[in-house]
Amino acid sequence: MAIKVNRRMMSAIFLVGISCGLIVTAQASAVQELLAEYGKEGAGKYNAVNGENLWKRVQVDAKTGQKRSCVTCHTNDLRKPGKHARTGKLIKPMAPSVNADRLTDKKKIEKWFHRNCKWTLGRICTPQEKADILAYLANQ
Amino acid sequence: MVSSKLRVWDLPTRVFHWGLVSSYVAAWLLRGDQYLHLHVLAGYLFFFLLLFRLYWGLAGSFHARFSSFIRPMPEAWEYLKKAAGGKAPRHLGHNPAGGWAVLLLVSLGLMISITGLLTLGVEEGHGPLAGILEREWAALFHASHQALAWAMLSMVGLHLVAVFRESMLHRESLPLAMLTGYKRTDTRARTENVQPHAAVALALLGVMLGFSLWWGRGYLLHSGNEPYLPFSGPMLSRNALWEEECGACHLAYHPSLLPRRSWNRLLTQQENHFSEDLYLDAGTISRLRAYAVTGEAGNTVTEASWKIHNSIPAAKTPVRITETSYWKNKHKDIPEKLWTRSNIGGRHNCTACHLDARQGWFEDGAMRIPFNGKNMTRIM
Ligand code: HEC
Ligand code: HEC
Ligand code: HEC
Repeated sequence: MAIKVNRRMMSAIFLVGISCGLIVTAQASAVQELLAEYGKEGAGKYNAVNGENLWKRVQVDAKTGQKRSCVTCHTNDLRKPGKHARTGKLIKPMAPSVNADRLTDKKKIEKWFHRNCKWTLGRICTPQEKADILAYLANQ
Repeated sequence: MVSSKLRVWDLPTRVFHWGLVSSYVAAWLLRGDQYLHLHVLAGYLFFFLLLFRLYWGLAGSFHARFSSFIRPMPEAWEYLKKAAGGKAPRHLGHNPAGGWAVLLLVSLGLMISITGLLTLGVEEGHGPLAGILEREWAALFHASHQALAWAMLSMVGLHLVAVFRESMLHRESLPLAMLTGYKRTDTRARTENVQPHAAVALALLGVMLGFSLWWGRGYLLHSGNEPYLPFSGPMLSRNALWEEECGACHLAYHPSLLPRRSWNRLLTQQENHFSEDLYLDAGTISRLRAYAVTGEAGNTVTEASWKIHNSIPAAKTPVRITETSYWKNKHKDIPEKLWTRSNIGGRHNCTACHLDARQGWFEDGAMRIPFNGKNMTRIM
């Protein structure tokens, strides 16, 4: 009996370990691959501090006069859930340390960069900006 | 020994009378869409009581039986004329005019019940008559249901006037007699007490209580995070890609809420989606389109889709559900300041008030205005 339980526990620990490892790798690989792609598109060495500054920088929308930043929807604390400024929908935390699903899918990251940069900054982000923000977010 | 009091109304008749009053009042007060589930419960009890009254009119005690109080028409007319002059004779049971009033009230009640069941079945798709006729008929049944309820209300008004006059005339409280069952002895009439029939009354109450508990079992037994939904709509199509892509910024509106041409336009204009650039690739767009057009409002699977669809002129292609005239009309009573309240957040946020918005049903009875955290007032 005791041996059985132990074995089960062992395999559970093993499985949990593997899945954590997989998630971390997925994240790391999606982020690493994107960073490499941004590099090829002309970005220099990424800088998380620049990323953080850009994330928090307030931009006034030309058409509406609204103040906008990435924080508007994702909140100041990346470990907390955010709220969509236009629709009120809850947004799960951005920090990969509390939300393991974050930054695991290249296509999804690119899609949201495109959408959110356009809405927040009124233009798409440069590869350098995306690399900086990604470096900032990945460490949260 | 001759008692000065006489039992005239047996218990089942009294339970019927006050039960009918209560269920009528309850159904009237709960006529708003959001209370439909309770309105229908009141309606079923009302219907059941009327059917019981028909049976009791044949099998009940003396004064409860139709044969004791349905008199020929001329007699009722004669009585009314005397009553108008303040000289109507006293009757222990129903007077000749009252007898006809009972019949009229019971018939109106039965017609209200039947048109109610038809409205529930044809307009909402629920109850024993669910979907027996095309939705085109719904408006007719709904209107007759309302007209009959008003007709009954005016009959009740006449009934109250008559009861008041007769009570004054003979210096006895008829409403009290309907409560206690007793009236003053009348030497010219039958002088026996009627049987109380307590067992029948108990059974009547038991059936109604049991049915009410069964009807409300969901409120009592429901557990879990999702709110209890008293009405389930038809099984609607689901699509994981749609929920993922169109549910990222707001509720993934079910395709049944807009016609095919609207979804086509929304997906075609994806780079300017209410000033958002959705940036979806062509493959994703075509898969979303394929799903949207099969579930579109033109299929009219739900009441909401049918009504939304009918309210859009053929030449128009709305890109908002909230700009269709059916939607606007249904929400016109909601004050502007409510829309901007933080726990509602805007017209597009159906989930704030419709508990079954995610399922795409928008059933009556699944909507409620969320409480205002500050002063706990309910605006509607
Ligand atoms: C109008 C609200 C809004 C603003 C402003 C906003 N975002 Fe987002 N963002 C979202 C939503 C909604 C999601 C999707 C969340 C989800 O998938 O749960 C998202 C997701 C993302 C993702 C993808 C995360 C992942 O799981 O891969 C990135 C990256 C991102 N945003 C970056 C930004 C950046 C950079 C800015 C500022 C330029 C920004 N966002 C501003 C609403 C916003
Ligand atoms: C990037 C965020 C985002 C995504 C993704 C998105 N929408 Fe929207 N949608 C919005 C915003 C913002 C509004 C406008 C809300 C408002 O202010 O009323 C809106 C409004 C709508 C409305 C009108 C609601 C009304 O008022 O009746 C429909 C319909 C709609 N979206 C459909 C879709 C569909 C279909 C998809 C998937 C292809 C989709 N949306 C994906 C942001 C988004
Ligand atoms: C502020 C709360 C609120 C929001 C948000 C809201 N509704 Fe409603 N809705 C109501 C109320 C209250 C009624 C009932 C109105 C009445 O009949 O008096 C209603 C009625 C309806 C009905 C009619 C139901 C019936 O069978 O009679 C439909 C359909 C509907 N809403 C759809 C929507 C859709 C779709 C959205 C989102 C685009 C939405 N509503 C957003 C409060 C809301």
